[in-house]
Amino acid sequence: MSYIIASTLEQAINNLKTSDGRAQVIAGATDLFLEEFPLELVDISSVPEILGISRSKGFLSIGAGVTHAETAASSVICSEAEALSEASLQVGSPQVRNMGTLGGNVISAAPAADAAVALVALVAKASLIDLDGSSREVFIEDLYTDYNRSSVDSKFEILLRFLIKPAQKGEGSAFLRFAPRAALALPLVNAAARVRLANDIIQEVRVVVAPSKPAPTRLLETEKLLHGAKPDLLTWQKIEYTASSEVEVRGSMLRCSEEYRRHLVGVLARRVLQRALVRARKVT
Amino acid sequence: MQEQVINFDLNDEPVSIYADPSLSLLKILRDRFNLLGTKEGCGRGDCGVCTVLLDGKAVNSCLIPAGKVQGRNVLTIEGINGKNQVKAGLMHPLQQAFVEKGAVQCGFCTPGMIMSAWALLQKNPAPSTEEIREAISGNLCRCSGYKQIEEAILQAAKVMTGQL
Repeated sequence: MSYIIASTLEQAINNLKTSDGRAQVIAGATDLFLEEFPLELVDISSVPEILGISRSKGFLSIGAGVTHAETAASSVICSEAEALSEASLQVGSPQVRNMGTLGGNVISAAPAADAAVALVALVAKASLIDLDGSSREVFIEDLYTDYNRSSVDSKFEILLRFLIKPAQKGEGSAFLRFAPRAALALPLVNAAARVRLANDIIQEVRVVVAPSKPAPTRLLETEKLLHGAKPDLLTWQKIEYTASSEVEVRGSMLRCSEEYRRHLVGVLARRVLQRALVRARKVT
Repeated sequence: MQEQVINFDLNDEPVSIYADPSLSLLKILRDRFNLLGTKEGCGRGDCGVCTVLLDGKAVNSCLIPAGKVQGRNVLTIEGINGKNQVKAGLMHPLQQAFVEKGAVQCGFCTPGMIMSAWALLQKNPAPSTEEIREAISGNLCRCSGYKQIEEAILQAAKVMTGQL
């Protein structure tokens, strides 16, 4: 029964090992009091391996312990992973952004977590290490097993970093959300997109929305429409229609109806793609 | 959870406490240190009324396990003004401005508002109205609205930078 602040990764792993499955890793801890929690906690928020934003082998490597406030304030993220920058700025409130981490946003697996939606659009991979020291790299969307459930058991595994490709020439990304208020409100729908252009023709595109399935959900039919296209007004109308037709959404008494959410998905998917496209053209 | 010794700086003084580290910082501040300026509202990070500064950053003390403040610096509404000022019966410019601008109605949100404003003015001494709105976007006021609060923070910024 203890609260341990680990200062090294080795210490964190040893603490988890000796607890024999009783201790759980925490970092920002902003969700800790919202549910029952184990009586042994290993706080990894000062472990160097999960901190900072750096470059590694052509990737941006972002620590899982980087807070939303740090991501939003990072000039590198702002210019080379715009969607993540915009998403981080929308999480919770300034107070929550000062504590909450990118890693927590993914591991807690809330179906419409802003930063996670942006990370999926940016084709981010998570790098994890288990208690034996073996590591794995997984695409973010493959970490979700159910609503609010990820495949990472934080008693036995630690999420270290996210790897994303920085925006190159002709690439751009964006994030948008629709919520009842500008601050402190859960989104009814959020959407993120990333596009790559060559000669003003779309070469690669990814558009992701939530909440839909447990993981942030790609709109594959919508993406197909845009591949190799130079979108005109008619294409954008088709995009809006296709996005809202293909998405699986649920309505709720508290938030909004299924019909309204479906409509929002179409509008936001179009807007976020257009925004990403403007940015892709700027860098060209 | 088993009690343990937690050492930290509270309002610029080193303190030690033997406490359950899984209690919230808010509970420790109110129940153990009798610092009742920090209020409990929603208890889940939505209202901002429990805002304190942890290493200079505004945080919701209701969401922070006490064990997390080990070795760190916590500032509450009681500590923003320095002892000598308090002894001399003087308010902090933010407190003064909240009074003068009528930015207090029931007063429950005020400590949290002032802590968020304090954090803002530390890193941005001359904020725009937009930046003030952003800084207090995690603090709810349910009686008056936010106009006078914005004006008070603007006025305090001017006083603190010698423009008033």
